[in-house]
Amino acid sequence: MSRTVPLLLAIDDDPAIRELLARELSLAGYETLTAADGEQGRELFERHRPDLVITDLAMPRADGMTVIAAVRRIDATPVLVLSVRGEEEDKVRALDLGADDYVTKPFSLRELLARVRTQLRRSGRDAAPEVLRFPDLEIDRARRLVTQGGREVRLTPTEFSILELLAGQASRPVTLRQIIGTVWRGAPATTMDTVRVHVGSLRRKIEPDPSDPRYIGTEPWVGYRFLVEPE
Amino acid sequence: MAGSAPPADARRIVVWVAVPVTVALLTWTGRAAGANPPTIGFVYMVAVLALATWGGWAAGAVASVLAMLCFNFFFFLPFGTLAVEEPANWVALLSFLAASTLASRLVATARAQAEEARRRQHEVEVLYELSLGLFSVSQRSGALGEATVQVLREISAESGALFVPGPDGEPVALSTIGQEGGGDPALLERAWRSERPVEIQEAGGGFTAYLPLRLGGHFGGVLVVRGQEMASDVLEPAARLLALAVERERLLAEAAHLQAVRESDALKTALLRAVSHDLRTPLTAMRLEIESLESRLAGWPEVLASLHGLAVAQARLARRIDNLLALARLEAGLARPRPEPVPPGSLFRAGRESLAPVLARRELATRIAPGCPDLLADPALTAEILVNLLENAARATPVEAPLELAASRDPDRSGSVRLEVLDRGMGVRAGDLSSGGLGLRIATSFAEAQGGSLKLIDRPGGGTIARVILPAAPELPEETA
Repeated sequence: MSRTVPLLLAIDDDPAIRELLARELSLAGYETLTAADGEQGRELFERHRPDLVITDLAMPRADGMTVIAAVRRIDATPVLVLSVRGEEEDKVRALDLGADDYVTKPFSLRELLARVRTQLRRSGRDAAPEVLRFPDLEIDRARRLVTQGGREVRLTPTEFSILELLAGQASRPVTLRQIIGTVWRGAPATTMDTVRVHVGSLRRKIEPDPSDPRYIGTEPWVGYRFLVEPE
Repeated sequence: MAGSAPPADARRIVVWVAVPVTVALLTWTGRAAGANPPTIGFVYMVAVLALATWGGWAAGAVASVLAMLCFNFFFFLPFGTLAVEEPANWVALLSFLAASTLASRLVATARAQAEEARRRQHEVEVLYELSLGLFSVSQRSGALGEATVQVLREISAESGALFVPGPDGEPVALSTIGQEGGGDPALLERAWRSERPVEIQEAGGGFTAYLPLRLGGHFGGVLVVRGQEMASDVLEPAARLLALAVERERLLAEAAHLQAVRESDALKTALLRAVSHDLRTPLTAMRLEIESLESRLAGWPEVLASLHGLAVAQARLARRIDNLLALARLEAGLARPRPEPVPPGSLFRAGRESLAPVLARRELATRIAPGCPDLLADPALTAEILVNLLENAARATPVEAPLELAASRDPDRSGSVRLEVLDRGMGVRAGDLSSGGLGLRIATSFAEAQGGSLKLIDRPGGGTIARVILPAAPELPEETA
């Protein structure tokens, strides 16, 4: 990132939301561009290469999916989706297409800003380090070793792969399809229930209280989110 | 097809009169013309073949014998006796008899085969006409009745009817021709129940058939046919064709119904999307404005208190709209609860987060009993249940009294989890659940949609317990590395 102030692109077809986003993001210290639909958003993205894109999903002309696909064709710029409750399929599709996170309308400004900060921080980082360190949990990716409070936690290879994926994307939602694609390499017989069974047993091994998870949160209708940020 | 007199008998009489008359006539003519034996032999042969062709094998055989006798009596020496002078003439006579009998036999067989072929051809023509009528003309649904009438006419039925299963499974006459087309109700009942054909010969010569229409194990109804001279061979294939048509009619009706359902679902989905978009957009703008004001008016505590009230009201309105839209989707069958194993703690966290403004100034304790299993529930719907109950509890309880969330294995039902929202409010008032606010009703609907339940009970020491029972996720055997 060569800019001193991150440049954000906000895409929403509603003028009121667009203006509010521009104003509030500027107040929060970001430079902001706005677009009224996916087509315009794609053009602005290609011309200015912003550091983060915030996009609505349902829009006239090209929708949010077009924006996500266009961004992903070029690079890994974080994309935050403004989704609507009751349209979970769209949200999951956006995440599978490469969106990084979402907030649900009517979202809170604080929540949005927190997600923006997390995404900018993540995108500034290099590839996940060899050892992921979280409060009271350490994941050694090279030696495939998990330690908690100085003691080794024995995980099956599948459980380790799931934990590695979720923790490597800490605070980002990971869809069930993404887990199947990465951990099982998309093996056709793998169902969402299979994933849930393995996550259940992983929770019993690493969570201090599996009925009140501290690390692996359930993301309704989507999948899971690693709740803790690396140290 | 049917003549006024029984044609078969009349024809038989004519044939048996014609045989001796023809032989006699030829003999007389031969004698009068002074024909020699070879000539009259050929003439006899031709006549025998003609009679066999026309009257069948028996007529041909009798004509052969008669002709042989006349040949011998009138044309071989000594004339006027059946004795034969020259042995060579015996050979001629016997050869004539053998040749004429054999030939008449062959001719009759050929004739029968031609007749059979004609009959088959007619059958094929009838069935072809029928299938054309059934499948190309009646492209629209509802043409089955007309098609049945056509079938009955094609097979020359005097009367008949098609019965198909009505809404309650009982036979309903779809179309009828002739008098008493429906036949005997008792026999119809028998064919209907047993799904086997019933055929009854009648005293007057006609017969009635009750033919069940079946296609691949699916019962489509019963065809009743009554007549004297029906193309009875065509009856069974015609009934099969009609069964196909009944099945097609059923599929057409089903497809039309499905199409209508799909269209109405698409309409409902589009409507809900539009409503949801139009309601959420201003709510989002409101929320952003409120938060923006909050950050800019940090030094004005009294304004901030009003803003906080506004934020709570806005959040409540937004939640109500979400809930109502979710309820509408569930009730319209556009959405179904998607249960997944979810730890109670995740639900408590989600509930707390989405009620942050309401709970900002009060204490909320959570208790998860040791060994409490995960729920098998739709996490979004279940979190909404908790949010609605917490919101009610917060309104019923003074700010200083803490609220509690508790989860435990349900002691009364194995395989269930009990989620409770406890307050120190006024306790349960009679009819709270039935007449209670929208929030309670939504929570109840969401619980029931997932096969669970919700009830309010008085809390010992004052207050209310809102108790939600939901299925537990199956517990897994411990897995080792």
